[in-house]
Amino acid sequence: MASPTLTTGTPDARKGGGARRVRRQLPASPWLFAAPGLLITGAFILYPFVSTLVNSFTDRRTLVPGEFVGLANFRELLHDDMFWIGLRNSSLYVLGVVPALVLLPLLLALLVQKNIPGITFFRSAFYTPVVASIVVVGLIWVWLLDERGLVNSLLETLGGSPVGFLSDQWLILLSAMGVTVWKGLGYYMIIYLAALANVPRELHEAAAVDGAGAVRRFLTVTVPAVRSTMVLVAALSSVAAFKVFSEVYLMAGPSGGPAGEDTTLVMLVQRTGTGLTGRVGYASAISVVVFAVTVVLMLLVLRADRKEDA
Amino acid sequence: MPTSRRTFAVAAVAALVLPLSACGSGGDGGSSTDASGKVEGDITFQTWNLRANFKDYFEGLIADFEKKYPDTHVKWVDQPGEGYADKISADAAGGTLPDVVNVSPDLVAPLAKAGLALDLDKAAGQYEKEYLEGAWASHRIPGMDGTYAFPWYLNTGPLFYNKSLFEKAGLDPEQPPRTYDEVFDAALKIADKTDGEVATLANVPTIEDFGRYGVPLMNKEGTAFAFNDAKGVQLLARYKELYDAKALDPQALTATPESSGKKFLTGAVAMNPGSALDLANFKKQAPNLYENIGITDQITSTGHVNMYVMGLMVNAQSQRKPAAVAFAHYVTDAAHQMSFAKQVAIFPSTAGSLDDPYFTKEDGTDETRVRVAAAKSLKTAVNYTPVLFSEQMKTELRNEVAKALQGKQSPKEALDNAVKACDRLLQQQG
Repeated sequence: MASPTLTTGTPDARKGGGARRVRRQLPASPWLFAAPGLLITGAFILYPFVSTLVNSFTDRRTLVPGEFVGLANFRELLHDDMFWIGLRNSSLYVLGVVPALVLLPLLLALLVQKNIPGITFFRSAFYTPVVASIVVVGLIWVWLLDERGLVNSLLETLGGSPVGFLSDQWLILLSAMGVTVWKGLGYYMIIYLAALANVPRELHEAAAVDGAGAVRRFLTVTVPAVRSTMVLVAALSSVAAFKVFSEVYLMAGPSGGPAGEDTTLVMLVQRTGTGLTGRVGYASAISVVVFAVTVVLMLLVLRADRKEDA
Repeated sequence: MPTSRRTFAVAAVAALVLPLSACGSGGDGGSSTDASGKVEGDITFQTWNLRANFKDYFEGLIADFEKKYPDTHVKWVDQPGEGYADKISADAAGGTLPDVVNVSPDLVAPLAKAGLALDLDKAAGQYEKEYLEGAWASHRIPGMDGTYAFPWYLNTGPLFYNKSLFEKAGLDPEQPPRTYDEVFDAALKIADKTDGEVATLANVPTIEDFGRYGVPLMNKEGTAFAFNDAKGVQLLARYKELYDAKALDPQALTATPESSGKKFLTGAVAMNPGSALDLANFKKQAPNLYENIGITDQITSTGHVNMYVMGLMVNAQSQRKPAAVAFAHYVTDAAHQMSFAKQVAIFPSTAGSLDDPYFTKEDGTDETRVRVAAAKSLKTAVNYTPVLFSEQMKTELRNEVAKALQGKQSPKEALDNAVKACDRLLQQQG
């Protein structure tokens, strides 16, 4: 049977030597515990990030390693119309989606917050789009918004004429934003439900005693109490919105809408950098811009939060 | 101790990153074209989207090959068609490209340029005479010597049209249009009669349309694109005319083959390209349409329809080249192409196969009518897709065409821009 002691020898030596050995082993042991996590993070996050950064300064293609070209890819970006279209659409997406995803889930959370019979059903129902595959969600909405789909049939029944939800440049983008908001409502609703559970009931009661109505209580009690959660939602949703791909890809088609006018930056990365003739270096440069903008977005949101605190 | 911790951390990161940095593209460049030697060893065979319907055929084929060459073992990998080029590129970049790969000529071009496709003129030139001349030539790359894949099956889809929509517009449903100009005239009439409710076409012109209209696609050397000539501009101008009259579906600018096929099924579009396989689909999903279905040849103003070619490429870096070449030839030889053609609506690329009564005699059914007509047109068909025309180039052309149709630029400007962009991409490909 193996000895549970660390060393063998005389009792004195065992005491001193064992203590020293334990001390010597301590610095490495945390790394060993962290190794699996580090390995996964390194392989799937750190390495691709560094690799993308390095590639952005090369003319690497899918099957050709490429050479160092300095800032040539970034200079080319400045003259690439499609890059500016992508930047415009990704930015518009943030402006269109984030306010809705900050406010609507909060209102939804207030609606389903109360513990009344059957409320679990509604909470689950509102959460269902979150767990549904984005491809399935996208296809369903494409069918609904098609020129001969359910929505246009209803409009025609009501005496209107069909709307080009999937053929007009701006309507495609708006439709995709609608899908993003619809799919994200449940996710952020859960976050708000957790935050609302921590709002002291006494504050609402005190405000009610002072004569505050529902709207006033919402503005003066609820909103300040969940403000940090709203900032979190704003930060998370703005980063996700800037990196939008699936919704626009499904609704606008692989070419990014009419004449590519609905292309977002991540769609451009996919289109430019994949396939056997993909320009990996150039696509990496676009990815670096996406990264930089998302970092700036996060900093802006956090700074706005700090200003509010001050 | 801080120093040892730092050392340990650096060592850990280095141990992690250094092996990974060995990943990536770039072959050893030392591949040989010698495929002589004993046919033996394990090889991998990759296809797209064939297992679902032809599992038994391919398993039987592989079993027969392994029986003929007892020292071989073929591992068959089948992947969905969606994103197939991305999967091949990941394999090619990662050094895990299978030994025998199902490819189309435009996929062969970048692989051949990267030294990953075996030159069959050198490695298997003795088989050349077994195939149709045009089919063998379809896997040649402008600017390179050699042929880089065995031709496999050919296809050319018929064009379906809705006879009742033709009748409603006062057109003779038994005399469908055959040239682009005839289609444009018919389309304008149908749109006019239905107040723009029914479009005739649902897709913007592709590079194959320009080819079939008689537009030269590239210069003779294959070093630059040329579809912005007067004839190309004329074609785009006519499409613009259709778009304005709603004879081209308003959603054509964002359409995919699937979405336009659906529009044809619902009667929103009068004509749609397809294959013999679609007939069964019409019968099942749209019986009313099936009763009114008209079948005609592809629209062409050159007298030559477009031919789609599939090939089997042998990985130039395969460790089992004799077995890989033998297997690729075995799958594509006359007997096996013929037996595959009897399983599915495709056409063999082997010399003389199209003269088989299976492709020349009708039995009165629509299926044989389509098959015989397609086989006949294949004898003079042309593969209008330039092998150097990449996915990125397709997108550039599509976007510029869309701008012209929307009136944001003239057809001439649109095609000039498309050619400029495609030439730039061509040069970047090297």
